[in-house]
Amino acid sequence: MSNRTSRGPLPIDLFLRGSALSYLALMVVVPLTALSIEALKPGWDPFWQALTDPFAWHALKLTFATAFIMVLINAVMGTATAWVLVRCEFPGKGIMNALIDVPFAVPTVVTGLMLVALYGPSSVLGSFLGRHGWAVIYQQPGIVLALLFVSYPFVIRSVQPVLLEMDPAEEEAAATLGAGTFTTFRRVTFPALWPSILTGTALSFSRALGEFGSVIMVAGNRPLQTKTGPMYIFGEIESGNTHGAMVVSVVLLAFSLGILIVLNLLQRQGRHIHGH
Amino acid sequence: MATEVQRIPASRQARRSFGKGLLTLIVVGWFALLILVPLLALIRGALAGGLKPFLQALATPEAQNAFFLTVLITVVATVVNTIFGLIMSIVLVRQRFWGKTLADGIVDLPFAISPIIAGLMLILIYGNQGWIGQWLEPLGIKVVYAWPGMVLATTFVTLPFVVREVVPVLQEFGVDQEEVAYTLGAGRWRTFWSVTLPSIRWGLAYGVTLTIARSLGEFGALLVVSGNILGRTQTTTLYIHDGIESFNTEGAYAASVLLAGVSFVLLLGMELFRKHVEARETRT
Amino acid sequence: MGRGTPTNPKRRRSLIRFGVCCIASSFLTWLSGCLPVQGVYAGADTLTIGAYSVVRDALREKILPGFAAHWKAKTGRTVRFEESYNASGAQSRAIASGFDADVAMLSLEGDVERLVKAGLVEPNWKDGPHKGLVTRSLVVIGVRPGNPLKLQGWEDLERPGVGVLYPDPKTSGGAKWNINAIYGSAMLEDQEHPNLQAGFERLAKVQANVLNMDSSGRQSMATFERGTGDAVVTYENELLLQQKRKGVATPYVIPDATLQIEGPVAIVESSVREHGNREVAEAFLDYLRQDEAQRIFAEYGFRALDSRLDPPDRVPLPKKLFTIAELGGWKEINQKVYGPGGLWDALFTGKKGSKP
Repeated sequence: MSNRTSRGPLPIDLFLRGSALSYLALMVVVPLTALSIEALKPGWDPFWQALTDPFAWHALKLTFATAFIMVLINAVMGTATAWVLVRCEFPGKGIMNALIDVPFAVPTVVTGLMLVALYGPSSVLGSFLGRHGWAVIYQQPGIVLALLFVSYPFVIRSVQPVLLEMDPAEEEAAATLGAGTFTTFRRVTFPALWPSILTGTALSFSRALGEFGSVIMVAGNRPLQTKTGPMYIFGEIESGNTHGAMVVSVVLLAFSLGILIVLNLLQRQGRHIHGH
Repeated sequence: MATEVQRIPASRQARRSFGKGLLTLIVVGWFALLILVPLLALIRGALAGGLKPFLQALATPEAQNAFFLTVLITVVATVVNTIFGLIMSIVLVRQRFWGKTLADGIVDLPFAISPIIAGLMLILIYGNQGWIGQWLEPLGIKVVYAWPGMVLATTFVTLPFVVREVVPVLQEFGVDQEEVAYTLGAGRWRTFWSVTLPSIRWGLAYGVTLTIARSLGEFGALLVVSGNILGRTQTTTLYIHDGIESFNTEGAYAASVLLAGVSFVLLLGMELFRKHVEARETRT
Repeated sequence: MGRGTPTNPKRRRSLIRFGVCCIASSFLTWLSGCLPVQGVYAGADTLTIGAYSVVRDALREKILPGFAAHWKAKTGRTVRFEESYNASGAQSRAIASGFDADVAMLSLEGDVERLVKAGLVEPNWKDGPHKGLVTRSLVVIGVRPGNPLKLQGWEDLERPGVGVLYPDPKTSGGAKWNINAIYGSAMLEDQEHPNLQAGFERLAKVQANVLNMDSSGRQSMATFERGTGDAVVTYENELLLQQKRKGVATPYVIPDATLQIEGPVAIVESSVREHGNREVAEAFLDYLRQDEAQRIFAEYGFRALDSRLDPPDRVPLPKKLFTIAELGGWKEINQKVYGPGGLWDALFTGKKGSKP
């Protein structure tokens, strides 16, 4: 096609390539470069100091910890939900399947509001939980709750298509050969699913690292307790500490980028193994 | 399969159904607790006063301004990213050049960047002391605290969607039909329009729908770059945020339900439409 | 397929074409994203106001229409407004980084000084008879109807189990007023010998009771309204405004010793020069200090600059009313308390003065 041996790329191909790459450069590469340069302009020492500032450090730790917990729960529940949606029948399944995408549709600022209204300290459920020491909203579990909501569809929608394509006959065969449900899952279903689970999980993790709109309403925003990375960045921007905001941003970005790269590599490996 | 069908003992079958039932219960319960109940609470909150106050809340001039701005930004961001998305997908799948994998990775980046950071980057570049902003300022060109900045922010965060949805479809589709078209004498554009586009239409439609849904709901980046100027830079999400804090909760809930409803209907509608068309196609 | 070396003439031509296409398309894309935009309302009779969230109702409902009528009567022209309401710190940041507000009405002098530092506001903005101020208020404690926990003052907020609300000083100017009042009350117990340590201890105990730190004073009030917490530390006018809106008493307590809030307003020189509306901007500031506007502010719960204009049913001022000057002035406070390694940071890290 475009690199046909006889003529080399046509002008139209080059124009398309040029436009697409320039757009990409302008929209993504330039801002990222600007951020990195400005963050490192004062020097490595100020960068390190801003990073190890107890508030910045804690915010980063909290972000990763909550994202990690959420991702574990989401991987399990997401896979289970996808499996149930594909392999089971129950009344209301169609509606539930449609509603899986609700977190994509609801703006994050609304998510926070809803969760506080339902599970906050002044609600029925919230005060009940609070009395038994299980406070959710304005505490760290609230952060995980908000993250769970916004990342809910990722694993499910990643796994569903793969499960749909899989022939249930394989699972049935394993069952007739005497394998229990869990063993079937472990030896037959899971090996085929893990790339898509991984994709969904990595997407959730990436999303969680950067989530702001929902978390800011439910977290409590208390320094060294419930201030996540994005909330810290926001606070530093608004109070004039742009450098601190940039430093934490760069670190968060680096990790998100790392996850994307790892995901890409694993996906490629998965493709080799499964011959997709 | 083997000619003899082995039967699973009834007891194990019962245990399996029980296991399946239990899992279903857990999954549905989780869904209800996490998604369904909050959604119903939102709808109830919006319609608690009745349908009339709901509609009235949506009719205030501030709400109308906010909706208009959201629609404007969404349209621009969607059009730009659809065009770019199509071009980029074709370039990524059908062309080979140095740095292609890198470009592929860069396309995915906005997905991994927190909207707050996106806003920060825009201020760094287009703010009045920014890399580009410092030259634009004396010319009277406003990017941040005006609608171009908001379009840029929204375009940035929705950049990957169309590409990500179209690329797999394009990869699967294969070059054969296109090659046939070329050998039959069709030019690039004709081939694209009549051969390529129809085959990727569902990937494209899904990508566009996701772009729209995401644009409608963008908040974090806009909070940083917009200045929340009533009538000039207050989108629906900012209006909702404003409403929460200015005791205008009815307005906030009403606008939330509207936004969520529109996005959801788009997503759902697209799914249903596709199923309908595919069913029709398999029948013929 | 071999890759030709760049010296291959065909390759070179392709590369050149590629380069030209890149440059052309980037220029076009950039241009389309940055269409020149003047504020739609730029002109001699427009006024863009960047204000903090708490003055929203007073401005939108009465002050701005009042000024419009006043301006019409005086000059026969119609004035058009553009308004933005945000947390004070956020608003200050926005103006400093390019928001072309003509008038900055912020929660505290420090946020205006940030604009002076950025060269947007004249350094002599405080020099007039009103010292740059437009409103006064008090830091008070809002409580639930009936005051079930019998909260009377700052000491009661130290009690374990009392849920306290106030915003985040990183974004909100109101938060700084609140925090200054809390530690100031303990620090100035003995006015001859201010004891910062006592102030720090009181603040630490109260902060331990804080449930949520919203991004603005108004949001804090909204969170309290929605049922969270037992006490909200906020401006007196916020609570009186609630009363006005709902027609129902929203009880609050004025502690024996509290801080007087002084709300500044300033003209943003750079914007006014750009828009050419200095006349209307200065008229607006004048109007704000006239009796009519001051009465409106008082109606919305503020305390007028001249206390004679306050409504007669206003609770008398507490015995120990201290001002920011007695606490050291904003410059020092912003550095010693809210600066890196300052008092506020030390609350959480337990290290005082860790940074030079």
